[in-house]
Amino acid sequence: MKLARRTFLKLGAGGVALVATAGCDQMPRELKQLLALVKRHDESFQPPATDTIDPIIHALNRAGFGPRPGDHQRVRKLAKTPEEAAATYLEQQLHPETIPDDDADYEARRFETLQAPPGEMFEYQPDLLQNELMRATLTRAVLSERQLFEVMAQFWSDHFNIDPSKGDCKWLKVVDDREVIRKNALGKFADLLRASAVSPAMLWYLDGRVNRHASPGDKPNENYARELLELHTLGVHGGYTQKDVMEVARCLTGWTVRSTVNPPYFQVGKVEFDPALHDFGSKMILSQTVASTDTTLSKDELKQRGRNELERVLEIVAAHPATALHISAKLCRHFIADNPPPAAVATVSDAFRKSDGDVRQTLRALFKTDEFLLTRGNKFKRPFTFAVSALRATGARTDCSTEIIDYLKRMGHAPFNYPTPEGYPDQAAPWMGTLLWRWNFAVALSQNQIKGTRVDLVTLGGSSGGDEHLMSHLLGRKPNPDESQAFRDSGDGLALMLASPGFQWC
Amino acid sequence: MPAIEHFIHGDGDRRQTLVVVFLRGGADGLNMVAPLEDDGYYRARPRIAITKSKAVPLDGFYGLNPLLADLQTAYKDGALGIVHAAGSEDDTRSHFEAQDLMEHGGIVGGGWLGRFLRARTAGTSGPLSTVALGREVPECLRGAPAATVFSSLDDFTLGANHARLMTSLARLYQAQPNDLGAAGNSTLEAVRRIEALRTASYQPAHDAMYGDDEFSRGLLQIARLIKSRVGLEAASIDLTGWDSHFGQATVMDPLMTQLARGLGAFYRDMGREMDSTTLVVMTEFGRRVAENSAFGTDHGRGSVLFVMGGGIKGGRVFGKWPGLTQDVLEGPGDLPVVTNYRNILAPILGRHGAGANLDKVFPSFEIQPVEIYA
Repeated sequence: MKLARRTFLKLGAGGVALVATAGCDQMPRELKQLLALVKRHDESFQPPATDTIDPIIHALNRAGFGPRPGDHQRVRKLAKTPEEAAATYLEQQLHPETIPDDDADYEARRFETLQAPPGEMFEYQPDLLQNELMRATLTRAVLSERQLFEVMAQFWSDHFNIDPSKGDCKWLKVVDDREVIRKNALGKFADLLRASAVSPAMLWYLDGRVNRHASPGDKPNENYARELLELHTLGVHGGYTQKDVMEVARCLTGWTVRSTVNPPYFQVGKVEFDPALHDFGSKMILSQTVASTDTTLSKDELKQRGRNELERVLEIVAAHPATALHISAKLCRHFIADNPPPAAVATVSDAFRKSDGDVRQTLRALFKTDEFLLTRGNKFKRPFTFAVSALRATGARTDCSTEIIDYLKRMGHAPFNYPTPEGYPDQAAPWMGTLLWRWNFAVALSQNQIKGTRVDLVTLGGSSGGDEHLMSHLLGRKPNPDESQAFRDSGDGLALMLASPGFQWC
Repeated sequence: MPAIEHFIHGDGDRRQTLVVVFLRGGADGLNMVAPLEDDGYYRARPRIAITKSKAVPLDGFYGLNPLLADLQTAYKDGALGIVHAAGSEDDTRSHFEAQDLMEHGGIVGGGWLGRFLRARTAGTSGPLSTVALGREVPECLRGAPAATVFSSLDDFTLGANHARLMTSLARLYQAQPNDLGAAGNSTLEAVRRIEALRTASYQPAHDAMYGDDEFSRGLLQIARLIKSRVGLEAASIDLTGWDSHFGQATVMDPLMTQLARGLGAFYRDMGREMDSTTLVVMTEFGRRVAENSAFGTDHGRGSVLFVMGGGIKGGRVFGKWPGLTQDVLEGPGDLPVVTNYRNILAPILGRHGAGANLDKVFPSFEIQPVEIYA
């Protein structure tokens, strides 16, 4: 393997010394590449050989962003039958902490602004931050071995959508992604909800920071309260009233964020509860009383009471049966079908409630439903999934450049670019207009016209074992005669396959 | 769910297209549409005001800068309306802040046009539903379902193997029984229409004469796309450089010439197609009423906004003229904003199918639409 001169210089003597003293795990990636220890996709592999998508491809498609060369074969070896192998794979994916992920970690570490503490975010240009956040998200989706984790991070990013173009979200969304979404993606729903409720980016995005009650006449800002009930928890038909929205808003008055707009410009982004801006009167939420507080108590005591009120509200809504149903329906829409089958939703919702909103256990129950196991190849890939699955399937080496982000923007699906609180749609219809740019992307990828991204066509064709094998690998099943014919006629079989109807579904 | 076939359109089917022109840099409304009958205007601008004799008369009170004379036809036809003392609530007088607020439509995530296209299409929009002429997608289009920077028609082809790939794709998409089949066929048809455009030379209709500048060329491309019915719903184009602190005429005269020539040619070229098209021209803020010592004007508040298109009660200047007396002027001496720009955009978006979704497009703003339509 040829190494750039710069890479050699970076390695230097220190790297060599490290090899002598440390094991392979701590070895810098450049060295691993030098020693050819990094996984490469040029070994020959056996693609799937069934006429329809088998349970293994199904698991790789739904609990991830699609198979890479050789993934099918690797998973197949996990157990005696394809069914058992898929189940074993899904169980592994439910424990991302046990899956080594050096490649993705290494590549994502390049985006170092994302690691800055909240206060330091403001030293960066917002454009740089947002660019790095998008590229890091794309990088992890392409490279991570913890595919289900990345899928769930995306699911919650949509569920708790924040468009960073609003106010200080320009900086703070990065913190939200790290400390709220990714920290809790496979944890307890209540923890995720709590983290989101006091996330400075969320307080900006849904105006919680200006929801205040400073004098008796002040009306609360209902924005967050409404979306909390409608989108984050109970769902629009979850049985709450306009009065509930107003009462929840009252409970959440007084939470502020130090901003770049108002002085003092000190500890910008810090979230504080200010009792002077809180409505301490009694409230009634979803038939439960929140008692009033004697405002002559000490400031510290009042601060505690105010925090308790937030906890209480979130407890009530997180534990509400409508929330279990709403979250389960969304999970089933994502993992099973655009119109989630009611039986599966009921099963999943049951698991959600019994486990106290444990995301892992909820997903485990979902993955065991017949509806999940048997409904295959029926989800239309959203543009992000389309692009990532193409990069993975082709074993592309990519720096996940802005050029790829630009393709996603044209398809209306760049990460964190959805303007309104409900997040990107998770059904096929809104994405049907994106074909032209999918085809363009397929051609550009296959022709190696995307800067910083390379597909080794010869190796890919050779290692899959010929045209028919390559098609089986890309489609996750054997091609039909029409597909084989079109492949041969197209002049660019790889582009054609990636652009074909078959590759748009997962 | 709306039918997929609605991506593109037969010749009998008029698609509505919204064209947004943004004059970046803070264009001086008083120098484009002058209040000829307000003495305060002449007192504040002894050296740079437009004299009554040179102005193109509009309604007896206002007059157009003579360099904007090309707009007169549309105005007289009743297809062009002008809104004076228009703008946003942003009073920072900072280009960045004011553009940001105007394009987002308040302190809110995403751009107003992006939110509109999302809310409106709810079902599906086509690959060419939205184009931005220029180098990047402007903030107003942030979050749109399919926003494309339009640089060349070549962007829409499938490279060296175009013809063979198209045949193979047609074979596979035609065999799809579901919505994807329809979407595929519709996309193939859009690509074919663009292919036809690429190979043909374009002759603007009605002897319209576009200028040989970037702005005119952009408008010509937009007219072309609208006429070829590839499903264009929104287009944005900028005309940049209006920051006239110094030597107002040197800065603004060439830009006004470009603006008027482009808009005039577009109007002529489009002809009847204008009925299903709306073009709106806006800027982040106007300039100080009083000229400065360098024959220029500094950052101000209210400016003008132009609306051209089908159904407009044009041929008039909307908005109450506040006068230019000291008690009226805002801050350091600026024309106040009498009409918030959203109150103009709201009825336009209504005509373009926003329906009940206007509160999503302009959240936390109480819309008081100006009656620009009959």
